[in-house]
Amino acid sequence: MTSPSLVTEDLTIRFGGHVAVNSVSCAFHPGELTVIVGPNGAGKTTFFNLISGQLTATSGRVLKDGTEITGLSPSARAHHGVGRAFQLTNLFPQLTVLENIRLAVQARSGHGWRMFRPVSGFRELTRKAEHYLEATRLSTVAHQAAATLPHGDQRKLEVALLMAMEPDVYMFDEPTAGMSLDHAPDVLDLIAQIKADTSKTVLLVEHKMEVVRALADRIIVLHNGELLADGDPTEIMSSRIVRDVYLGTAQGTGGEDAA
Amino acid sequence: MITSDTRHTTGTLVIKSVVALIAALLLFAPFLFQDVRSLEVAARICIFIVLVASFDLLIGYTGIVSFAHTMFFGFGAYGAAILLKQMGPGWTPVLLGALAGVAVSLVFAVAIGLLSLRVKAIFFAMITLAAASVVLVLASQLSQITGGEDGIIYKSPDLFKTATKLLTDADGKVVRLWDVKLNGKLAAYYFVFITSLILFLAMLRFVGSPFGTVLKAIRENEARAEAIGYRVVAYRTAVFCLSATIASLAGTVYAVWLKYTGPDTALSFSIMIDILLMVVIGGMGTMWGAVIGAVLLILAQYYLRDLMGAASEALTGVPLLPELLAPDRWLFWLGIIFILLVYFFPRGIAGTMMTGRKGA
Ligand SMILES: Nc1ncnc2c1ncn2[C@@H]1O[C@H](COP(=O)(O)OP(=O)(O)OP(=O)(O)O)[C@@H](O)[C@H]1O
Ligand SMILES: [Mg+2]
Repeated sequence: MTSPSLVTEDLTIRFGGHVAVNSVSCAFHPGELTVIVGPNGAGKTTFFNLISGQLTATSGRVLKDGTEITGLSPSARAHHGVGRAFQLTNLFPQLTVLENIRLAVQARSGHGWRMFRPVSGFRELTRKAEHYLEATRLSTVAHQAAATLPHGDQRKLEVALLMAMEPDVYMFDEPTAGMSLDHAPDVLDLIAQIKADTSKTVLLVEHKMEVVRALADRIIVLHNGELLADGDPTEIMSSRIVRDVYLGTAQGTGGEDAA
Repeated sequence: MITSDTRHTTGTLVIKSVVALIAALLLFAPFLFQDVRSLEVAARICIFIVLVASFDLLIGYTGIVSFAHTMFFGFGAYGAAILLKQMGPGWTPVLLGALAGVAVSLVFAVAIGLLSLRVKAIFFAMITLAAASVVLVLASQLSQITGGEDGIIYKSPDLFKTATKLLTDADGKVVRLWDVKLNGKLAAYYFVFITSLILFLAMLRFVGSPFGTVLKAIRENEARAEAIGYRVVAYRTAVFCLSATIASLAGTVYAVWLKYTGPDTALSFSIMIDILLMVVIGGMGTMWGAVIGAVLLILAQYYLRDLMGAASEALTGVPLLPELLAPDRWLFWLGIIFILLVYFFPRGIAGTMMTGRKGA
């Protein structure tokens, strides 16, 4: 197998006395799509926040291609090729859809410090932004403010921002949550396309079992912040663990998005 | 959507035409308004457009609340003033003063930025307020250098002396163009106009550049800007420095124009309040708003009294009205106008007209 692109070693975070992610060690490889499952409040989003830098680990390490990124800011981690989309839509509300995407393209290009030439002079940025606009089927709303979009389109834009970052590691946090049935396949197709590129590592938090079945190369189960199971999808899905976790002890634990 | 779109373009067109008209009036001001006071007003408008626009880079574009903007303006003004006083009139003290003002401004901006741009917005605002207060106190205490409360009176470069003749006719008399003497005063006004124009155009460039889009991203959603790869602290510090530099340069230009620099003209908090009012009236997050806000407030400050005096006199005999419009009540009416403006243009005049949307 290829060397892992992303590794967590004993990754832990405490909020006061509460351990939200507890000593999770895991390696993620290029060409592999890992679905992370677990009930509400299991620590899935917190795990993502620790990897992409919105939260800093209490202990443990995060490595990207062997380089430690544990203490870095989110922007520095983005430049290391770690990108994520958010569970709660997290856009630039008053900017247009095209501007939103172009910002992500531009962040990647490193042109953010250019201040003497108009944006329109950076054709390649606009062209790339338009590419992702089409890929996510948002062209028709390109010039609308993000805040005015219906929920489904906002979720698509959330995904478009991540794609436009062109990271090595893609992290999707319930990308289809709250989406209508006719929009969800668009997003799932996009994830499938990314997965087809064997140089990319994908982490996906998802509850819908048919989605998990269709996309997962591997499933890990988080429960109360701990890594409960890690393995082949058929193996995990047939084991009692998932059912126990979803139906058993964990019921009623409320989870809030930290991002 | 269609109605909102058409309103968008017509509103934008109106605002841009008004700004173009203002630019033309300012360009020809010495010829259109041939009295000393009008020229004072025109020059003050030029300077404040730059000052307000540079403040809007912070508050409107990036979402940074600072109360230290007059401090930077003051650094530039005092830099030129002190050197003009010490070295005598000339271009060297002006240039050195501008450089010194910018240097001090940058030291303060970097220090404040790095110390506190990471923290909550309210805390940052407090730090800027504290820094500005300390500098204001220092300026009045160090009276050997700054002239204290009285300020400093000095001469500007010879070119700008009223007695300087830019062009002379055969008899050695100053040439008149449309009845306006081509003298040093005219040169001084165009010095103000052109430097202000250059600074304003530079800011237009900045906000339309990739850098400008990052500023807006930070305003809209700081966390996401960071997540997609922008070092927010670095950008915020950079725009704070940029804005401070421009304010400082505006201060230097104003000092050269006024030939006097004191706390009231360059440092006081009443200037800070004027800037805030102008940016709110004009509209945040658009450079055109700075133009409209500065023009309206300065015109009101200079002419509302006169206008009310005239109205009050014209209405003598009518009950109540002359009393209400007595010139002494001009601040009251300014307040009323301000409240009405904020009510009808919640995002400022330019902001509301150009987006065609009410509310934030
Ligand atoms: N910033 C924070 N401060 C305090 N507690 C937090 C913070 N972020 C998360 N938590 C807690 O950590 C636990 C894990 O939350 P997390 O959001 O990671 O769950 P999740 O698995 O993503 O759940 P969901 O399926 O509802 O999205 C929860 O108990 C939550 O309340
Ligand atoms: Mg979550």
